Amino acid sequence: MIEELGKNLVELKKEFVKIYDGKSQIQEIIPKSKLFPIEESHLELLHQFATKNPIYYNSFKKQIGSVDCVVYEGDINKYWLNSIQHGASRAPFSPTWILSAYLSSLFAKSLGYKQVIDIGSGDGRIAYCAKILGLESYSIEIDEMLVNLQNSISESVDVNFNPYCSDAITFDYSTLDLTHPVFFIGGLAQMGGVSLATGILENFSSAQKQTTGMVFAGTVSQKYTPDPIGVSGWGTLIEKFSLQVIDTIILPTVWTFKESDDTHYIFTKF
Amino acid sequence: MTSAEDVSQMFNSESQKLESLFDAADSKIDMNIHEIVETYYQVMNISSMVTMLKQQAESESNELMEKIQETKKLISQRFDTVIHPRILEKLSSSIQKLTKNLQSENSGEKSKEQIELDAKLFDELRQTMSTKEFVEQYENGLSHD
Repeated sequence: MIEELGKNLVELKKEFVKIYDGKSQIQEIIPKSKLFPIEESHLELLHQFATKNPIYYNSFKKQIGSVDCVVYEGDINKYWLNSIQHGASRAPFSPTWILSAYLSSLFAKSLGYKQVIDIGSGDGRIAYCAKILGLESYSIEIDEMLVNLQNSISESVDVNFNPYCSDAITFDYSTLDLTHPVFFIGGLAQMGGVSLATGILENFSSAQKQTTGMVFAGTVSQKYTPDPIGVSGWGTLIEKFSLQVIDTIILPTVWTFKESDDTHYIFTKF
Repeated sequence: MTSAEDVSQMFNSESQKLESLFDAADSKIDMNIHEIVETYYQVMNISSMVTMLKQQAESESNELMEKIQETKKLISQRFDTVIHPRILEKLSSSIQKLTKNLQSENSGEKSKEQIELDAKLFDELRQTMSTKEFVEQYENGLSHD
């Protein structure tokens, strides 16, 4: 079911790319139509996340294929400029689509995870989606400007997804009383994801590993150096930490808008 | 098989192309990114040819050897000590200037048009930064020589 929704979203994105003639730096769509089978209250909250998020400066309705959608146009340049000025981030902020964040959180929920920890969370959209799905969620972001953005969204939408301004590698996860968590690692393997994930995985105790899942965002695009073991750039890390791949879902992200291959969300466990 | 004369001719022609690029660099206050990258590629191309042909020239051709020495001198005296530092300085100052402009524009509400206009400046900044990284790689090569 969730994989099917993911495939529908990828197809919808392809249709959108064909007809989009705007000039915005980033753009994404969220369906309005009931033809896209997501709980209506959740769909409304996804729209609210976009409308209350200052990275989006324009929106308009558009029929894409047979689906009524809202197109959100945005710009994240100032956050990029801030992150390179302070050198705090391991990877520049480039978000997944809001609906992709929702579907990947939904998939995590279907696997039985109780908590979602969004690492390098940007504007906190994965943690937000996990929260509206009834999971406990935590959003860890090192960049203060982005955490301020998360707090403003959290307040205006009245959904507290627990933003923390912290280095995810040195963060003490034992303070969160996690029982069955899944960590979403922000950033492709080749874009700082490996060092971020390694730093976190090295700090897990054996007991923590028993109950923890890890989700990696991967790519098969030829723009990036492939991993010798594959798995969309994560093979070497997966082998090093003896992780097992549970499943992979493919979803659109901001950085794959002009690409034919979308982002591979690789769900793993120890 | 390529004769020694063909090799010599090819080297002469590539060296002339390099000299023209240096002349163009000297005649301009602002080189665009394409011109910068083209100049560095030609310097690297010639430097590789020098390494490859040096051994052959030592045993076979005085004329080629002289041309090689002349070209090495051209790169060292004209490019490494004058043009390259000037380009690096210019890139650094462009980055500073663009960054300052963009930071000063960050506050307040902006129209869709203004945001999309600024996005072009951000693209220019990103391009200039990656060109500087490329130029710095050449700089690193010089310091390891």
